[in-house]
Amino acid sequence: MDWAQLWSIVSLPDNIPIVALAVLVPFYTWYGLRQAQATDRLITQLESNPSLAQTHHRKIYPFQPGWARELQVWPYLLRVEFLAAIIVTLVLMIWSITLNAPLEEPANPNHTMNPSKAPWYFVGLQEMLVYFDPWFAGVVLPTLIVVGLMVFPYIDTNPLGVGYYTIKQRLIPLLGFGVGFLLWILLIFIGTFVRGPGWMWFWPGQTWDHTRVMYEVNHNLSDLLRITNPWLGAIAGVAAIGLFYTVTGWGIHKLVTRTRFDRKIYGRTNLLQYLTFQFFAITILVGLPAKMLLRLLFNIKYVLITPWFNI
Amino acid sequence: MEDERQDASPLTDPIAGHSLSAPILIASVLLFVSLVWALYDELLGQRPWKGYQRQFVQLYSSYLKKLGPRQAQAEGVVYNSREYRALEQRLTAAEEAVAPRVREIETELTGIRQQLESIRIPFQDARAKVAALTYQLEHASAGRKESIRREIREARKGPFRLELASSVGKSPAQPQALDFNKLEAIFNGLKGREAQLNAEQAEITRESRELRRLRAEYLSDHLAGVSQTQIDALIRKMDTFRYEIKQIHVEEAGLIDRCQSCHLGILEPVALSAADMGGQRAFVSHPNKPLLALHDPVRFGCTPCHNGNGLATASVEDGHGNYKHWLWPLFAKENSEAGCLQCHFHDRVLEYAPTLTRGRDLYELKGCIGCHRYEGFDRESDALSNNYKTIQALEQQQKEARLEADREIKAGDLAESNEAARRHYARAESLRVRASNMDARLAELNQQSRFLMQDQKMTGPNLKDVRLKLRKEWIPVWLKDPQAFRPGTKMPRFRLSEEEIRALSAFVWQSALEGPKPEMQAKGDPAAGKELFETRGCMGCHSLGEGENRIGGEFAGNLSRLGEKANYDYIVRWIHNPRDRTRPYCPHEKRDLGPEDYTRHGLPYKFGLHNSKCPNDGHEVQVQNMTVMPSLRLSWQQARDIAMYLTNLKHDGAAYSQDVSYMDDPKLAARGQMLMSRYGCASCHEVRGLEDAPRIGTELTKESSKPMEQLDFGLLEHRAKRENWYSHKGFYEAKLRDPAFFDQGREKAPEERLRMPNIQLTADDRRALTTFLLGSMDSAFRAQFRTIPEQFRYIPTDQQKDIQEGWWLIKKYNCMGCHNIQIGQKSILSGLPRYQDPDWKEQLPPTLVQQGARVDPEWLTRFLADPSLGNTDSTRNGVRTYLHARMPTFSFSPNEIQKLVRFFLAAAGQSSPYIPSRLEPLDDKERQMARTLFSSQAAPCLKCHLVGDPGHDRFATAPNFLIAKERLKPDWTARWLTDPQSISPGTAMPSGLFRREGERWVFAGPVPAAFKEYSKDHIELLVRYMFQLTPDEQRRLIQTMPKAAPAAATREVAARTAGSR
Repeated sequence: MDWAQLWSIVSLPDNIPIVALAVLVPFYTWYGLRQAQATDRLITQLESNPSLAQTHHRKIYPFQPGWARELQVWPYLLRVEFLAAIIVTLVLMIWSITLNAPLEEPANPNHTMNPSKAPWYFVGLQEMLVYFDPWFAGVVLPTLIVVGLMVFPYIDTNPLGVGYYTIKQRLIPLLGFGVGFLLWILLIFIGTFVRGPGWMWFWPGQTWDHTRVMYEVNHNLSDLLRITNPWLGAIAGVAAIGLFYTVTGWGIHKLVTRTRFDRKIYGRTNLLQYLTFQFFAITILVGLPAKMLLRLLFNIKYVLITPWFNI
Repeated sequence: MEDERQDASPLTDPIAGHSLSAPILIASVLLFVSLVWALYDELLGQRPWKGYQRQFVQLYSSYLKKLGPRQAQAEGVVYNSREYRALEQRLTAAEEAVAPRVREIETELTGIRQQLESIRIPFQDARAKVAALTYQLEHASAGRKESIRREIREARKGPFRLELASSVGKSPAQPQALDFNKLEAIFNGLKGREAQLNAEQAEITRESRELRRLRAEYLSDHLAGVSQTQIDALIRKMDTFRYEIKQIHVEEAGLIDRCQSCHLGILEPVALSAADMGGQRAFVSHPNKPLLALHDPVRFGCTPCHNGNGLATASVEDGHGNYKHWLWPLFAKENSEAGCLQCHFHDRVLEYAPTLTRGRDLYELKGCIGCHRYEGFDRESDALSNNYKTIQALEQQQKEARLEADREIKAGDLAESNEAARRHYARAESLRVRASNMDARLAELNQQSRFLMQDQKMTGPNLKDVRLKLRKEWIPVWLKDPQAFRPGTKMPRFRLSEEEIRALSAFVWQSALEGPKPEMQAKGDPAAGKELFETRGCMGCHSLGEGENRIGGEFAGNLSRLGEKANYDYIVRWIHNPRDRTRPYCPHEKRDLGPEDYTRHGLPYKFGLHNSKCPNDGHEVQVQNMTVMPSLRLSWQQARDIAMYLTNLKHDGAAYSQDVSYMDDPKLAARGQMLMSRYGCASCHEVRGLEDAPRIGTELTKESSKPMEQLDFGLLEHRAKRENWYSHKGFYEAKLRDPAFFDQGREKAPEERLRMPNIQLTADDRRALTTFLLGSMDSAFRAQFRTIPEQFRYIPTDQQKDIQEGWWLIKKYNCMGCHNIQIGQKSILSGLPRYQDPDWKEQLPPTLVQQGARVDPEWLTRFLADPSLGNTDSTRNGVRTYLHARMPTFSFSPNEIQKLVRFFLAAAGQSSPYIPSRLEPLDDKERQMARTLFSSQAAPCLKCHLVGDPGHDRFATAPNFLIAKERLKPDWTARWLTDPQSISPGTAMPSGLFRREGERWVFAGPVPAAFKEYSKDHIELLVRYMFQLTPDEQRRLIQTMPKAAPAAATREVAARTAGSR
């Protein structure tokens, strides 16, 4: 275990946000889920007592007599925001006093750094380049992710669970978003802590050695199937992808129609909405990690090879 | 807990019922604390130089206060000296003489100044008013002009009230009412008088001012360090010290250096050591003031020489640039001369950078250049290949010009008008002339190529002669560990396996020439040989004796064990003339030519500098051994004696009896050849079949600009980082200490291992080489070279270029082994035990410090080509025939002779070409006078100087006067006669022969009677006589001379003149 190596990564000023993420993401996930649980309890309580449901409620509590009927933005909202503003300012102050901007030497096109890493918010994208063609990892997938996020409100037919934390009323969306978000964080984490010189895989704490030599050969699916004819190879690739979409789509369908509540929501969804949802869920939430695993565990480079693009 | 809370739905509102005061208070307090922290960081944390400045002011003030009394004491001594007192007295006298008049002037001046003061305000007021009105007039419309003119007239009329202050001794003047003209007249009158009085005062106090200046000069000349007044000023400066960033800003060069914000003592006039400043090393003054005088920091800053980050002031690491992303970190103190290389990268010798110069010496001497190219070091081969390229281009141009001329003529023949035809013919003619002009250039270039080939030398000996020169059994012993056989040799130790040694030995042996063999030689006399070896100057380059007993130069090999390896006959030939080559080498055919090549063309097997064409193809062949060892013009007998002596030198019981029959195995030789090109042997040695072998090492010209990742630390990178030597410096030092170091732990096949051999280097040598390599970079300064203004660049002038060109040669041939060339440099010979004896001191070769001023360059050209000057006995020296040491014949090419002559001229600041000044011929009377002086008892010149008579010359220790005319420059000769000791310390020529009398020099001894009426310079007379001396005249002189032991005479003269001084 090379602690010095680990420390040199952790202490790099560039990596401060990611180190912070490593703490903050689990904390807020836990904190949000805790809130959601409390809300769920309130929901159960209100559902069992229709008269209570007629009243206002505050936070996670049903309304009690003696409480104010309405609360003003000032001071009750703004004071919390003010506190948050002070704390953020404080953090920024300390950060800027203690750490200088991570500037480097003048750029020299003849001498690029190794490893050459994107800033933390792009390092996930950079890591995706390992698994896909540049046009796919750099253009298609990011576009799909952004479009997918924009499409959310239009395929969401669930009238409940708006404006408060809940698991019960939004299990499937929560699951979908959670997987996508953690996947993104995971990519950043790998790019920052795991990728060393030559973008080689170094476990955290393993010494980064510029002269390390590795034997790793990637294969295409058609090579593994010993298909030499490109037409047959492409057909096999299309078949494999088709199979993947079918199986995964069936699995997702099973998942979203699991409970009566879910089936009710499913019933409110039209075909276009549902297919759109299925496409994004299969492609981004399952397809991306599936290709990563194929590459990392089985050294599969491409499943489908065409003269125009490879997947 | 969850359940509890669920049950206990709070009585108060969960949002309105809570107060956030406490968290907001705490957060606000913390925010305020962070603000205070930010302020502290801004004012002090990021500005550590403030602390340094406070410390400096305190330490420096107390040091200056301590220094004060000490300095005052030293000054007291000067104040009490006779000269100072005399100056003081003269000053007082001069001041007293003019004191009354000065007082008068001052009184009058005071009055005038008071009057001027009282008139100034009304006058300036009136003048301003008039000027303003005049401006209005100039810009007014025609209609208004008249009224403004009237206004001006009114204004000039005034009246202005003037109350002149009383001048001294007069009653106060009445207030007057004046108009502008009168006012102006009074004002100008007063001004004029003031100027007049000032001038008079300056005139009469001139003498006292001059004396005051002399007194100050005397004080500064006789006082080491700063004066009390200066110290007081410095203390005052510290009292009013401004705490701020101190920076040097040279806008034109884009340079900002803030180094002096902490290094405050660096430019102080007081020399400060760390001990003076309480052990704080940051506060020392610059250790090399003369160097700083040449490179004014106000103009050049600090970082162009020292590197580091001149802008950074936040911490020591930042300022010194010792952090990861700064590409030009501060040079370590011991390598600080690396900075010189940033501008002086073409200069071979730098007076103020001995370590760097030593690094360059070693790079050449130890043969680094054999494997590692370095810009500027391959002088001959680079020039040669350039030459060939130019020749090719010129020939092409010439061909095209001729073709074009032909075309023009044809065009002329077909032209429609006479006019046009003439134009074409004229063009054709000028093209032909141009083409034939190129012939001259081509001829010159071809000749240059020949010279360059002659000047190409090798670091190591010629391996083609191995069979003729060496004992077979000795070769593997040597290859195994050259340092063990001959400690300090240039030949490094290649880490060879037993098998590799056998293969290499086999190849060396089999590739060598078998003949023609050197002639069989009769035995010599070793005792005579020893004497010759020790006195002819061999030891300026070679050394003898091992370990503690080693004496002599390091330039060439130590010969203590020569007898164990070498063949007597070959050594005789080598000593007689080392340039004698066994077979000439033709670079075109790439083979050594033998007698058969010559006989085939009906030519005798003879080759030399004047017979250097290949009989087969007419190309230039290499006719000399490529060694820098010169010919000492020894007779064959002398060569035999020395060779006998040297071949008798061996260790007791040294025996080489192992079986070396494998050296004749051709299979082994084939492997040996492969090994030889792998190890780059042919870079230093001439090897048959590998004459054009490429260099095997990496070029080092810009090695220190290489990114760290490109330096092969092998598996040691992490260790180097941990131990803090992951830097260029660390890399060079480790590599020079042990070239195989970075192979540690690596699994490599033998042929992949690092090839650099182990070179015998002392710690100082390693430091010198590291310094040289550290400076070999594209520094910030060098990268900006194209953009920074000319005045900041080092652009060598012609003379500076000549000097550096010359240094390359002087180092190449080790002239400094026998001669002193730099001021303060001691030749190797002068350090030898033999030359410590006073009688032998006179046997030292002459110092060449002012050679260019001393001799006629044309003579020098002839001398360098043939130091015997065509003497009938060519084995002797040309000038100083009395010297046992011999000026060798280097067989310089005319090219190198030119460079050397230019070097000596430039080094002595002489212009070229030299045109001798005409000397007045002597009249009979003057000749008579000069004769008497020349042969007078007080200055018996001819006792020591050679005259060409063997009987007389046995005791002579100075050159013959007869060659003075063509050899010396008259003005130098005159300077020499006044004080030879200051030109060449230790010379046998006595100083003080002449004394100054007014504007002329006169003889210091008893002046012969004939001089009574002579009013001209005696030295000048002697010089003229000397330059017009004829052999007849000299014979006459000798006959008049009394016979006495010359050495005694010299001492006599010296003693007497010393007394008279």
